[in-house]
Amino acid sequence: MSQIRVERLTKHYESREGRVLALTDVDLVVGEGEFTAIVGPSGCGKSTLLYILGGFLRADAGIVEVGGRAVSAPGVDRGVVFQEYALFPWLTVAENIAYGLSTTGTPKADRAAVVERFVRMIGLEGFENRYPRELSGGMKQRVAIARTLAYDPQILLLDEPLGALDAQTRETMQDELLRIWESTRKTVVMVTHDVNEAVYLAQRVLVMSRRPGRMVEEFRVQVDRRQGREAVMLSDEFNRIRNQVWLTVRRQVGATR
Amino acid sequence: MESAAGGAVNAPARLGQSVWRAVKFTYPIALVVLAWAIAARSGWVRPLFLPSPQAVAEQFWPLLVGGEIVKPLAVSLWRAFGGLVLALVIGAAAGLAMARMRWVRWGVDPVVSFAFPAPKIAFMPIFILWFGIDDVSKILLVAFTCVFPIIVSTYHGATAVSRTVIWSAQAMGTSERTLLRRVVLPATLPYIFTGLRVTVPVALITAYTAEMVAGGGGLGSALMFAQRFFQTPAVFLYIILMLLSGVVLDQVMLAARSRLIPWQPEEDA
Amino acid sequence: MKAIARRWGSIAAVLVAWELAVVSGAVDPTFLPAVHTIAAALWELATAGEVWTNLLVSTYRAVVGLVIGSACGVAVGLMMATSRAANGFFGPLVAMTYSLPKASLVPLFILWFGIGDTTNMLTVFLATLLPVVVSTYHGVKAVPQVLVWSAQAMGTSRGEILRRILIPASLLSILTGMRIALGFSWVLTISAEMIASKTGIGKLIFLYGESGAYAHMFAGILAIVAVAYTADRAMIWLMHAALRWHDAAPAVGEH
Repeated sequence: MSQIRVERLTKHYESREGRVLALTDVDLVVGEGEFTAIVGPSGCGKSTLLYILGGFLRADAGIVEVGGRAVSAPGVDRGVVFQEYALFPWLTVAENIAYGLSTTGTPKADRAAVVERFVRMIGLEGFENRYPRELSGGMKQRVAIARTLAYDPQILLLDEPLGALDAQTRETMQDELLRIWESTRKTVVMVTHDVNEAVYLAQRVLVMSRRPGRMVEEFRVQVDRRQGREAVMLSDEFNRIRNQVWLTVRRQVGATR
Repeated sequence: MESAAGGAVNAPARLGQSVWRAVKFTYPIALVVLAWAIAARSGWVRPLFLPSPQAVAEQFWPLLVGGEIVKPLAVSLWRAFGGLVLALVIGAAAGLAMARMRWVRWGVDPVVSFAFPAPKIAFMPIFILWFGIDDVSKILLVAFTCVFPIIVSTYHGATAVSRTVIWSAQAMGTSERTLLRRVVLPATLPYIFTGLRVTVPVALITAYTAEMVAGGGGLGSALMFAQRFFQTPAVFLYIILMLLSGVVLDQVMLAARSRLIPWQPEEDA
Repeated sequence: MKAIARRWGSIAAVLVAWELAVVSGAVDPTFLPAVHTIAAALWELATAGEVWTNLLVSTYRAVVGLVIGSACGVAVGLMMATSRAANGFFGPLVAMTYSLPKASLVPLFILWFGIGDTTNMLTVFLATLLPVVVSTYHGVKAVPQVLVWSAQAMGTSRGEILRRILIPASLLSILTGMRIALGFSWVLTISAEMIASKTGIGKLIFLYGESGAYAHMFAGILAIVAVAYTADRAMIWLMHAALRWHDAAPAVGEH
């Protein structure tokens, strides 16, 4: 049974020049436990699509359903990680991670244990009482992910979560993300502009067209990730798919109206 | 996909838009005036305490003709501006000097630190003692009140001038004086202006308050005079005039800013 | 040690020059009493109690007006930032009354309430309202959208968003506005007292001036400056403590 279903989604937004069409007739189906990546040229509306899935924006037309029910507002079934981390600067690492627990009714007595488990999972023991301003980008991103996982949403929506990190930290975090997904098997929809990242992490890569965005092509990635990063990235299969995706995106970038 | 039509075809629409915007902006004030008029007319409060808007408006002409508006207003404005100009000259000079010369900073900084949070109006008796109750004491009080924010803004602006810009100029053989005049000052101008924009209302307020406290002509004295003789409509009128003078001045400042410093993007109030 | 010397050095220098100028006869002591005369007067005032009661009265008025003004200011600012209707209504009113010297309302309030605490506190209330409204409004408007969205995605209710997200996120702005309002509260309380009052430190120094007790007058002004300075420093300390997590908190040594 598919978890996310989008049909003929259309979205406008207001700009100084008037009404601009951001997404047009977007169709999308994501099954439970799938890791799906969405790539496309800048400004194609992939983040907008994610925000609609998250319930932060409303579609102008079309169907947006999660678990069979229409999406109209943000909810605890869909956890979101933003590119800017969006950590609450006035809360410590532990308090940030505990936030979702307080809103979903986890009894106070149990919260500390959950927080501790996640702090350990992201490898930030000893930093529980630090404030976000004392952390590096990579650390902040890990806290953001832990915060979203802590209250166990069924779906993860990731908006360029590693976009603000340097190349090295990025690779480390990608492996981290993969590890977390493999152990929790959540449904993940990740928006990224990095084709390598998309093919490395996802089982399915969807390519969007230039603005106004629509789904152009879908690629299934069947790569054995247990080989480890080096083997994967040097494998023929990975490179074949990656090249195809890259070419498709590139064609979208250069496409004329 | 945007339409290319515009210009003459849209003129009536644009006019309609401006009218709508004007209405949107003034309706709360109109509501307040309306509430005022209703309260006054209802007889629920005595006219001594709450004259009707009409009674207040009716005061305008006789006061104007009797010379009790233009002259006091001019006197107040003269004092406010005199003090402001003085504060500007001294403040900008001090701020620049503080930025460029360490010993000046060392000397002036503590004075500014102590003076900043202090209510400068408390020094009014000193100025009266030294200079009497006429123009001079008030101009100086205004200057004293306004100089500190200007010093601080100028100082921040001058220290914000990029080091590399200064080094480039110095490498090209610019003397300290020319450096100040042609590099630091223009770069600091927007900051001075910001300091000024905040200070202009303060200058006006200080002038009015000083007049209310110590007399000696000006709109503040006129206001106190009206109050002493229980001329409530005149009291209201003077308050409104003070308000309007502030609003007009602020608009003038904004206009002046866009003319004098066109390269700086405007920020919202 | 050096920091203290730097801070007080120039002031000490000024005081010394001042003292010398008067004692040497270069300056008429009627117009500028010598430092030691003022110090003596200050001592006298401090021990006599007259200054304390009046300072207390003024401080009481300023603080009450400030607290109520700040509370209402935050409330209005929050409303304006979260409701377009509220913004449409209060916005123009705020813009308009910004230019109004609140001291000009004192004569009107005297007409309505007579000379006394009410007039004074009402004036302070109105004066402190505006800076807090404006700074709260701008602070809340500047809260990054993704913070609110994250909170919503984690199930925060509408009412909670205000308390748990918007206020902490805009705290620096709000407190900065309160600091400005603090300054205003002194100015207006003193102004109102000087315009018309029976009690208060503003009235007191005016009385001293009128009766020729200039050394006492200077001493009284000094007392006001000291109180205002201390209050401001206390505010900075408070801000520092409440904003430890902020990456742009004011350093303790700032003015």
